[in-house]
Amino acid sequence: MTMKLTIKRLIAFSCLLAAALHFSFAHAGEGVFGWIYTLDLQPKGKLEFEQRLQLNKAQAAGTYDAWTARTELEYGLTNDLQVAGYINSYYTHANQNYTNPEACGDSPSCTGGYGVPSTHDSSTAYSKSGIEGGSLEAIYRITNPVTSPVGVGLYLEPTWGRNKDELEARLLLQSNFIDDRLVLAGNVVVANERLKFIENGDVPESMLDFLVGASYRFAPKWSAGVEARFHNDYSELNLRNQVQRATFVGPNMHYAAKDWWVTGAWRYQLAGGTCMGGGEAECSNARVWDSHSVNEFIVKVGFPLN
Amino acid sequence: MMSIPIIAQAKIYTSIEQAQKILFPNKQLSKTPIIITDDLQETMRRASSIRHPFQGDRIWKTADGSWLIVDEVVGKHEMITYAVGISPNGSVLGVEILEYVESYGYEVAEAQWRKQFIGKSATDPIKLNQDIQNIGGATLSCKHLSDGVKRVTVLFEAALKAK
Repeated sequence: MTMKLTIKRLIAFSCLLAAALHFSFAHAGEGVFGWIYTLDLQPKGKLEFEQRLQLNKAQAAGTYDAWTARTELEYGLTNDLQVAGYINSYYTHANQNYTNPEACGDSPSCTGGYGVPSTHDSSTAYSKSGIEGGSLEAIYRITNPVTSPVGVGLYLEPTWGRNKDELEARLLLQSNFIDDRLVLAGNVVVANERLKFIENGDVPESMLDFLVGASYRFAPKWSAGVEARFHNDYSELNLRNQVQRATFVGPNMHYAAKDWWVTGAWRYQLAGGTCMGGGEAECSNARVWDSHSVNEFIVKVGFPLN
Repeated sequence: MMSIPIIAQAKIYTSIEQAQKILFPNKQLSKTPIIITDDLQETMRRASSIRHPFQGDRIWKTADGSWLIVDEVVGKHEMITYAVGISPNGSVLGVEILEYVESYGYEVAEAQWRKQFIGKSATDPIKLNQDIQNIGGATLSCKHLSDGVKRVTVLFEAALKAK
């Protein structure tokens, strides 16, 4: 019941904002990928509203649904510098989703994963929702892929949250082909994190991701493509002591009209992920769990506000 | 030569007839479609880098040997349709934006930006950030329209001049 209400609330909130904004506003800085950032930024003085809803679904067994909603305003300070602010909220429902004996002991399954506190009785289901916190973001475009063979940009995003604080940096790379209809993009993502929901509430972690993808505008307004994530997690700051390695791949679809746009994407975790360095409890069935799942879905909508 | 594009619901629609009147006032134009061979298409592609095929059915000629060519290039979301007037010696007389349906970048329709093309011919680069200035926030439209005008001048040199 709680779950339905919460998801409904998240979706209703997104739809309400979307409907309210749609009447008055004309569009950009749009994301053709689900998770990869491109160098398509807001022009100077332009403001855009964006709403994202992500669902991480299914782990080793039982139920694992982790919803994340991010409500964003982004603004072009100059034609090459975009800033943004986010309010992040979440809903996590986990029940008997782990099977690794290191996590579950003698039980065939137990409740665990990202967001489940270490104090929670792992034989029972866990549900929690709320406002996670906020993020700030800045993207600086050094070269524009429309006029340069390779577009290059830098991205910085500090996050303050109930479950974790994080400082994420990205190197953004993009090349366009075929009248700029084919977009090849890559992000190198590094992040230092401080987890707050387990142990003493101050557990360091870091992450290194390589995101690559292609998107092709196959018809006016419509693009489709694929994107992949090569994920590495570390149990200390600054990429020391690797504990996870996982690969995700899936399709994306994007529709953009003058006044709004929407992107949907799905990432599937390939078998072959591994855990090591003391993080073995987070793996089973050749996949990595923790905050990850078999399937990740994302929907994003954007509306220019001026 | 000033034009007044009709801006309604953030779309620019100038009809071909309006563009004819603006670019060639008081002149009679006769439709002169040409067949675009693969070789000609390739020549235009190499000169302009545009992959979207050129259609040869929207070409008009005046009695004094001037030309009106309507073409389209890829915009951010939809095609941008535009018209170019070419003098008998191959130089650009003017550029009109016929259809533009994007979120922003409408400055490409402003006379101030379009007048950069006047007098250019196939021997000029007609390249964004070289001899054509960019409009910040409308880079893709500026680039594709510049490349588009380039391919129209190349079309004149390769196929229209001799007619």
